[in-house]
Amino acid sequence: MEYEDKAGAPRKPPSPKQNVRKNLDFEPLSTTALILEDRPANLPAKPAEEAQKHRQQYEEMVVQAKKRELKEARRRKKQLEERCRLEESIGNAALTWNNEVLPHWETVWSSRKVRDLWWQGIPPSVRGKVWSLAIGNELNITHELFDICLARAKERWRSFSAGGPEAESEDAGFSAADREASLELIKLDISRTFPNLCIFQQGGPYHDTLHSILGAYTCYRPDVGYVQGMSFIAAVLILNLDTADAFIAFSNLLNKPCQMAFFRVDHGLMLTYFAAFEVFFEENLPKLFAHFKKNNLTPDIYLIDWIFTLYSKSLPLDLACRVWDVFCRDGEEFLFRTALGLLKLFEDILTKMDFIHVAQFLTRLPDHLPAEELFASIATIQMQSRNRKWAQVLTALQRDSRDVERGSPSLRH
Amino acid sequence: MTYAYLFKYIIIGDTGVGKSCLLLQFTDKRFQPVHDLTIGVEFGARMVNIDGKQIKLQIWDTAGQESFRSITRSYYRGAAGALLVYDITRRETFNHLTSWLEDARQHSSSNMVIMLIGNKSDLESRRDVKREEGEAFAREHGLIFMETSAKTACNVEEAFINTAKEIYRKIQQGLFDVHNEANGIKIGPQQCISTSAGPSTAQRNSGDIESNSGCC
Repeated sequence: MEYEDKAGAPRKPPSPKQNVRKNLDFEPLSTTALILEDRPANLPAKPAEEAQKHRQQYEEMVVQAKKRELKEARRRKKQLEERCRLEESIGNAALTWNNEVLPHWETVWSSRKVRDLWWQGIPPSVRGKVWSLAIGNELNITHELFDICLARAKERWRSFSAGGPEAESEDAGFSAADREASLELIKLDISRTFPNLCIFQQGGPYHDTLHSILGAYTCYRPDVGYVQGMSFIAAVLILNLDTADAFIAFSNLLNKPCQMAFFRVDHGLMLTYFAAFEVFFEENLPKLFAHFKKNNLTPDIYLIDWIFTLYSKSLPLDLACRVWDVFCRDGEEFLFRTALGLLKLFEDILTKMDFIHVAQFLTRLPDHLPAEELFASIATIQMQSRNRKWAQVLTALQRDSRDVERGSPSLRH
Repeated sequence: MTYAYLFKYIIIGDTGVGKSCLLLQFTDKRFQPVHDLTIGVEFGARMVNIDGKQIKLQIWDTAGQESFRSITRSYYRGAAGALLVYDITRRETFNHLTSWLEDARQHSSSNMVIMLIGNKSDLESRRDVKREEGEAFAREHGLIFMETSAKTACNVEEAFINTAKEIYRKIQQGLFDVHNEANGIKIGPQQCISTSAGPSTAQRNSGDIESNSGCC
């Protein structure tokens, strides 16, 4: 009401007194400046002490704002320096890998120096090469073999899309219907592989490549066929290697004992892997282990996804690649060590959660995971239990489960 | 958050029929046209209100590929309800229902309530399985039946809630032993306190939806 009276009164143009502002080299945001404006002429003037007080307040605000600006600028500079340093170190690491490691691979790959360098993460420019060398080619797959498998896969796609699968005798035991289902499934899954990246989907640059590798693999290994999860592994390899080399790495990777156990869905053997994992879980994180036991949080709930896709679905891609780096160096045990590193990183919050919250948390990890913190956490995980290493624990459990022979799967002994 | 009961659900059915999308629509009220494929199992949870009682649904969303059947089988244990999903635009997903049902019956408690769901009802032009066929299959095997669309949210709410209603009815009839967790039912942590306390902000009272409220 009072306001309306004043608004209704005839207005005089505001007399802008800029002189107070001019002696400040810092130009603050308009709203902060308002405080300094003199009152409109139709209002009683500010008493001198009030004006003085406002001026002081204003100056304090400016000082604060300047401080913030400066701090922000310093932060940005530091960030930039950090990025430069990171880029430089990546560049240096790439040089070291190219000049000192790769040419003498056989003799130096297991040396202390290379192992340390490896832990830091392989520079993207040499990553594919290092993965290939580390995975090896025990299966002696050649580029020609890949071409043959791919040609055969293409023939099948054609014959199925032309309608009516014809009888083929060479793969007896794998019915035409099975194969058709598997081909259909590959098509369905490719679009669901890293959908956010938009490069494997229909029309994307790597759609055909992913299709080729998975198709060729089902022809190369009809006994294994296509199993969900494979598309993620093939996709990560494609991002780092040429098609034929990606196929070679893919086939050899899947041929490793742990991957074979999982992709053939050998349930008994998978349980043995989980049991071995639990031995190290209890050893490293006894409190959390007890909490999980109490809440029936069995390892399959979170490990199946992590192991099948080698973390590529559950971790941010750059972080997943770093896990792959060390997985290539240390083998399957690093997959389980990573799992324990993750559990340890989140131990405090996990201990406070009930079944459903832990299950949801672990099957959908936070989008932003600090790489250095995760690797620091993994580094503290000891893969030794009563002087036994991973492989020894696993072998012992395998022997046990064979002895029990289809008895109730004893997860612990 | 207090609740009177907790029901464990399991969602099963062939790969690509929309199991995860149904769950996402039910828990988050959104649809993802391209969903990540599920490896192993994923989880969802939501509170619903049946007859004035708060009921917490704990939902296990499983991988559909045939190869994973042996893993999925171990998740039936302790489920009070199952949503068996097929895709109305892909007949083979309907043809496989018998084998899914066999699995479900063999590995779950005999009282488990099974809701048969024909999903993707928004894709009428590509329909490959008639609604009557779904109805007939359900009748023959004693299942509840609905057609849903995870995309338009049509009947999604109803599918989850009608299953809960049926389980609740069975509890009241004394068919479920609620003290045996193997039946997939747990009594809420504060059962002695009246659970009809004011509706929470996040949960809506969804108890009175007519079954088959046909928007599909």
